[in-house]
Amino acid sequence: MSAVISARGLTKRYGKRVAVDGIDFEIAAGRIVGLIGPNGSGKTTTLKAALGLITFEGELSVLDLDPRTQRDELMKDVCFIADVAILPRWLRVKDAVDFVAGVHPRFDRSKAERYIAHTKLTPTMKVKEMSKGMIVQLHLALVMAIDARLLVLDEPTLGLDIIYRKQFYQNLLEDYFDEHKTIVITTHQVEEVEHILTDLLFIRDGKIALAASMDEIGERYVEVMVAGDKVAAARALQPIDERTVFGKSVMLFDALRAGGLSRTQLAALGEVRNPSVADLFVATMKGTYA
Amino acid sequence: MTTPMSTMKWLIRRELWEHKGAFFWAPLIVAAVLVLLFGGGFLYAIIANPSFHVQVKGEEVLAVNGLPPAVLAKLAAAAASSYLVITAPLFFVLPVVVFFYCMAALYDDRRDRSILFWKSLPMSDAQTVLSKVATALLVAPLATMAIGFAASLILLVIGLLGGAIKGINLIAPVLANVDFYLAPVYLLSFLPLYILWALPTVGWLLLVSSWAKSRVFLWAVGAPLVALAILAWFDFLAGRFAGVSMNVKWFGEEIVARVLLGVFPGIWFGEVDGAALAQQQAGLDGPLLLGTSYATLGTPGVWIAAAAGCAMIYGAIRLRRWRDEG
Repeated sequence: MSAVISARGLTKRYGKRVAVDGIDFEIAAGRIVGLIGPNGSGKTTTLKAALGLITFEGELSVLDLDPRTQRDELMKDVCFIADVAILPRWLRVKDAVDFVAGVHPRFDRSKAERYIAHTKLTPTMKVKEMSKGMIVQLHLALVMAIDARLLVLDEPTLGLDIIYRKQFYQNLLEDYFDEHKTIVITTHQVEEVEHILTDLLFIRDGKIALAASMDEIGERYVEVMVAGDKVAAARALQPIDERTVFGKSVMLFDALRAGGLSRTQLAALGEVRNPSVADLFVATMKGTYA
Repeated sequence: MTTPMSTMKWLIRRELWEHKGAFFWAPLIVAAVLVLLFGGGFLYAIIANPSFHVQVKGEEVLAVNGLPPAVLAKLAAAAASSYLVITAPLFFVLPVVVFFYCMAALYDDRRDRSILFWKSLPMSDAQTVLSKVATALLVAPLATMAIGFAASLILLVIGLLGGAIKGINLIAPVLANVDFYLAPVYLLSFLPLYILWALPTVGWLLLVSSWAKSRVFLWAVGAPLVALAILAWFDFLAGRFAGVSMNVKWFGEEIVARVLLGVFPGIWFGEVDGAALAQQQAGLDGPLLLGTSYATLGTPGVWIAAAAGCAMIYGAIRLRRWRDEG
């Protein structure tokens, strides 16, 4: 089976500004990919291209379909939550469930109703009577009940409180995800998704800054809490990032970049651990805001 | 099972959820007001006036023993053929509702971004736009006709019963009159004509609704009027200084009127010779009205405009498909 999303030289220009600059990437089936980048880096544009919402240059196939010309076909197997999407104010909970059940062949009504039962939503409630968090809960309940092969979540948990966010990602992993499905997530709250991701895709200025599986990242990037007397020796190994925590230097090393650094070698410098995605992100994006 | 037909059914239902007030409550309230006003007024008149006056051509014809049979027959025929006329105000509400509905139809969900939710579901932009066309051209007129028919029946019953109490019993002659049963059929027969005449307006409004970033009303109404004004001014100057005259009147009637006023039921009477219609006696002559109305299809203008309406609807679909909603 070929990749779920495959991009070759994907480019999107808005006038003179290049939002996505000839990127190549592949996303395989059965993965949960974190698409992570600063604001304006091109991640939403990339997703919109994949969902057939905008025109673009280059090649892009999603589930072996061209999102530009075969969008209607594509949407039977793809579902998404766009970062700015909101439900219309006049929509009632029960009407929303009826509607999606009516138009979507892969919608499981009982599943949606089960999710809704865990919230404070009532069947006759209208969206305009809901809090921001409740609207997101309804939207997620609808989308999570769709058995889509590709689910794209662009900032899905904006406006949700932390308890529900944790719950949502747990549901996503336990109840929704299986080896036939693929999920692409963008979010600013990286620390909340990193434990469920299988792959990372860092995007910066319209280009892919890093594309790797979490396993590869675990092997490649090492964070060392450097002992006080070994700071100079550690710096000689060219860490890609250095910060200070409680007076101790914490350095991030790329095992590939320095040409064969081993864990044992680094362990001699101090306590070794896997970096968090957030720290890795900050290190990779260094200078973006400068 | 989801089929294109069932998806269309749900899409139209969605429009009704959103616009229940405009399509049902507005005509229902107007109909209720009509029933209260005319029905109530009639009942009040019966109760308040012990002697009931009927005037025909200025002469009082009511006798204690009732009306002369010829007048009675005329009254019955008028009631049977024209009882639907009383709900005419409903058909002034309809175009206003349809006009504003079309302007909002492809704009509101872009403004509040719920378009991205609808676009995440498996329905094509063509289906979405066509569901709105169907709502404007079929559902809204049919709802208005049904409500109008119901209100007319109520008023007719009030009128007939009130008359009967006063000794003018028209119940049997009205029920025996074939026009009474044909009137709703005649009314329904206007629908295809209405659709043809309304297509350019619906198409234009949906196109603007799908295109405008803001101020849909200003674009939809202002653009044709400004174009007309500029043309008229240019024509004035050209006529004055170059002795050339353009057909501004044609532009006004064939373009501006068709894209703005097509949703008004009966707009086609503007093309009809009124003399034939003025001859009607004893109520409305349904077949005559229908015949003269459908005769307007003999001119190419209405067909070209309807085709242009379809082209604009296609344009609205394309815009809906590709407009980047940021």
